[in-house]
Amino acid sequence: MITATNHSRAWLAGIRLTIVYILLLALAVFMMGPFLWLLSVSLMPGKNVFANPPAILPTFIDFDNYVKVWQFMNFPKYIYNTVVITVMGVIFNVLLASLTAYPLATFRFKGRNLVFTILIATMIIPSSTAMIVHYLTIQWLHLGGSFLAVVLPSSVSVFNIFLMRQTFLGIPPDVRDSGKMDGASEFRIWWQLVLPLVKPAIAVISLLEMMAFWNNFLWPIVVLDDPQKYPLAAALTFLNGQFSYNFGWIAAGTMISVLPIIIVFLFTQRYYMEGIAGAVKG
Amino acid sequence: MKRWAWSESYTAWAFMAPGLILIAVFVFWPIIYGIPLSFTDYSVISETHYIGFDNFVKAFHDKNFLISLWNSLLYVIIVPIIQIISILMAILVNGKIPGVKIFRTAYYIPVVTSMVAVALIWSWLLSSNGVVNYLLLQLGLISDQVAWLSTSSTALFVLMFITMWKGLGYYMMLYLAGLQGIPSDLFEAARVDGASRWRVIWSITVPLLRPHILFCTLISLMGAIRVFDEVYILTKGGPGTSTLTSSVYIFQKGLEQFNFGYASALGLIVSILIGALSVLVFRFNQKGGVNPY
Repeated sequence: MITATNHSRAWLAGIRLTIVYILLLALAVFMMGPFLWLLSVSLMPGKNVFANPPAILPTFIDFDNYVKVWQFMNFPKYIYNTVVITVMGVIFNVLLASLTAYPLATFRFKGRNLVFTILIATMIIPSSTAMIVHYLTIQWLHLGGSFLAVVLPSSVSVFNIFLMRQTFLGIPPDVRDSGKMDGASEFRIWWQLVLPLVKPAIAVISLLEMMAFWNNFLWPIVVLDDPQKYPLAAALTFLNGQFSYNFGWIAAGTMISVLPIIIVFLFTQRYYMEGIAGAVKG
Repeated sequence: MKRWAWSESYTAWAFMAPGLILIAVFVFWPIIYGIPLSFTDYSVISETHYIGFDNFVKAFHDKNFLISLWNSLLYVIIVPIIQIISILMAILVNGKIPGVKIFRTAYYIPVVTSMVAVALIWSWLLSSNGVVNYLLLQLGLISDQVAWLSTSSTALFVLMFITMWKGLGYYMMLYLAGLQGIPSDLFEAARVDGASRWRVIWSITVPLLRPHILFCTLISLMGAIRVFDEVYILTKGGPGTSTLTSSVYIFQKGLEQFNFGYASALGLIVSILIGALSVLVFRFNQKGGVNPY
């Protein structure tokens, strides 16, 4: 009798597990299917995008679209633009956030609470016209058309400052004291003793900012006068209008723009997820 | 001792100066400057005048603005749907079964890809002879091809669908982080007491996830009202004004027609609306809107 119950229980658990896997797979097809389909389209030159039934998996593989899009659309140029903008954005964000957060976490000085309160306030007040004022500011600074203009408005974020402050708070004060004992300046203590201890937080900020800058398309279009200076995401909207009937090329171009970010994400998920989860606590 | 404290505060400001200056210029200034700008007719064409409340009066008589406001409010429908689906997804991927991490990653891929790429893929999938129509026709759910994004009655809902599709993984991960913070003996105790699976979700999971629900609701609410990228890339507000959202309209007025004064006034109205809605969500959450007891 007991074995019978165990038997049916195991059987039930098996069914339940099967259902869970079916659900997981169905969702995976829903979320990944569109990307796999785009990959197939990009790998099958000459095949109609609107062919029915749709091909989720390619029936043959040919990199012709990739070769053509690379040659005809000046892709190396756009990749160069994207990399420069992204690298600048990441460096600015890491340096400025850790510089600004460090005294807020470890120093005692007048006005610390005031700075902190003001920073929090900016996170609560919504601004729907920021882009317009940014545009006016960039014009006023005579920066229009430069990569610096693309990067500056998002070069420091209050969220990153809070994240860094939280991390600095977890570092024992002995680190700073021992540095002082050795006669090191505050700046050297920060650069040589403290920053190496917060590498995980730096990694989180770098990843989040890298994705934000890589995927940003609107602000570059607004602020850059010449499409030759566009990063990939902006160039794609531009090219889409120019080559609207060459689906294979556009599919290949889109894959080229998307793959680096997906690959980076796959290898750095752990850090990335920590940053995302930290957002709720912060 | 006093001298030391002074030098510490001097160093502190030196450290913070670059960051604070940029925050002042690019975070603070837009919030402040947007207000006086709303009371002017600042544009690139003519001289700037102070015009009192004219922009606001004009806004409430501007049919397109009112439509855009309505469309943005309609977009909020996705907020509760996102919470329900992403909580269920989080529960699904919370199990300790082999391979579950691969599925989490797969669901997250749309979040990290650019909206430009996502919009392009879906515009092809959703075109009249695209894959979606093919599948729906095969299943017998529709009898004729539908041009999803160029039909007034469907376009806005299709955009909502794309917004959700891209965002679900993000909210799933936030809820997953919340679920993993709930001690598992709570679930076991409930199961031993004979509570059904749904009963456990409703009486234990949801109440304990409340801070996460608040956070995700606020984020997705602001995202919904300010929705821009997918609308701008795919429909630019059309056909007609059927998908015109307030952010797209403000962008058109401000950075395409360069009516900075009027666009700022519209932005201020939307900001106030978002502020009011956020307060409402807070109150609802405090009063226990999601409390099942």
